[in-house]
Amino acid sequence: MTGIHPSTGEPCRVLVLDDEPLILLDLEFAVEDAGCKPLTALDLVEALAIVQNNAISAAILDVSLGQGQTCEQVARTLAGMGIPYVLHTGDLDRMDEAVRSLGGTLVPKPTPAAVVVARALEPLAIRLD
Amino acid sequence: MNRNFPNSVPETGLNDQAHTAFDTTAARARAEHPEDTFAGASGVLFEQAMAQTRMAICLCDPHQSDVPIVFANKAFRQLTGYDDHEIVGRNCRFLQGPRSDRGTLDRIRKAIAEEDVLVVEVMNYRKDGTAFWNALHLGPIYDADGKLVYILGSQWDVSDVRAARADERHARDLARELSHRMKNMFAVIGGIVNFTGRVRGIETEAREINERIQALGRAYETTLDDSHRGTVEVGQAIRAVLAPYDPDGTRIRFEGNGLRSDFASVSVLGLSLHELAVNALKHGALSSNDGHITVAWRRNGAADGPAICIDWTEHGSLPGAPAMGSGSDGIVDRMLNMARGGIVREWDSEGLKAKLNIPLRDHAE
Repeated sequence: MTGIHPSTGEPCRVLVLDDEPLILLDLEFAVEDAGCKPLTALDLVEALAIVQNNAISAAILDVSLGQGQTCEQVARTLAGMGIPYVLHTGDLDRMDEAVRSLGGTLVPKPTPAAVVVARALEPLAIRLD
Repeated sequence: MNRNFPNSVPETGLNDQAHTAFDTTAARARAEHPEDTFAGASGVLFEQAMAQTRMAICLCDPHQSDVPIVFANKAFRQLTGYDDHEIVGRNCRFLQGPRSDRGTLDRIRKAIAEEDVLVVEVMNYRKDGTAFWNALHLGPIYDADGKLVYILGSQWDVSDVRAARADERHARDLARELSHRMKNMFAVIGGIVNFTGRVRGIETEAREINERIQALGRAYETTLDDSHRGTVEVGQAIRAVLAPYDPDGTRIRFEGNGLRSDFASVSVLGLSLHELAVNALKHGALSSNDGHITVAWRRNGAADGPAICIDWTEHGSLPGAPAMGSGSDGIVDRMLNMARGGIVREWDSEGLKAKLNIPLRDHAE
């Protein structure tokens, strides 16, 4: 079961970042359905606080957060900690080169929430094998 | 003194650089403008070309201090609005102004100094202060002994071209923003349907609704690139709708041309093909390991009743796969009938063969 952390035996914590609450709600359910514990963030500040205060196993990051903000800082932090993440975006073409170069898995919007979560958890499954 | 006022081409009435005709006889030009005269064996031909071309041309003397213009043709005077005595003897920089890009001007200076050929677009100003985009082409002219004699500059007003390019870029940016917002909107709608289904305990129904909505979204996504045309390329919509059912691109084969249709037909088409694909996944060619589907589309029907015809042909379905009538709820038949089209299904040993048709309502190309 990918949802359980191998060392703690507790559900894996998954950060979900999106500036659209309705998408966040959908993804939160989907993370729960996958047996993990969702930690949701509506903006950069919330996301960075979650990353700092929790042991995250994986993350789903909306790229464009409104007002010209992108998830780059969060992605960079996660990449530095070796935590896998997917970039969930409606505009792959316009996606910031800096964000793209960080190397997260790209998942285009719209993709069913269950599929987004499955893609986010893929690296954990491989790791646990 | 009206030599700076060109004769516009009478048939077109246009008065830009491309449509300006100068005097058509060299003799008259020579008589009226002796300053355009050149000596030499091919002088007459050269003179005719210089006097009549709509390409503004000037020659500068690199051996005098500050590289002054020593000759400017009629088109140059026409383009810039200056008289000959205001041009000859001055450096070309009198065409520059506040919005001329410094970097471009540096490149021009460098090219002149290093006897390079350069093609740039630079903002220049006419005598009356109006700005124009100048496609400037400059390069060295050598004599028979290879000695540098002139720097030649040719100027062409590309303001219209620049404006058209800017419009096009703006339209593209707008289409992309629209596409981005639409994808987001479909993602939000998907979210709402999902969590409503979840809290109501009707996940299966919610999923079915969502799959249809997302198929519609994919069909429409392709329309944005062509939003100014009012029609959609049928093949693009078909590919987009069916893409999720063939992630590796090996199970569904597409045969068709650039047939276009109106938006409304595409929604029905998209949803119908989605339903056929879902059925194929459950019971048909996509449920077996090596089955595949051919989707062919073409325009058909009488000239006064054109239609889009689609052949959906499944190959390698599992033997004994249940011949599902019209799907569980007949929705495909009802949608197509509502659009005044229809579907005919047949089964053979390979699986389902369906023929769909839907009227082309626009006179789409």
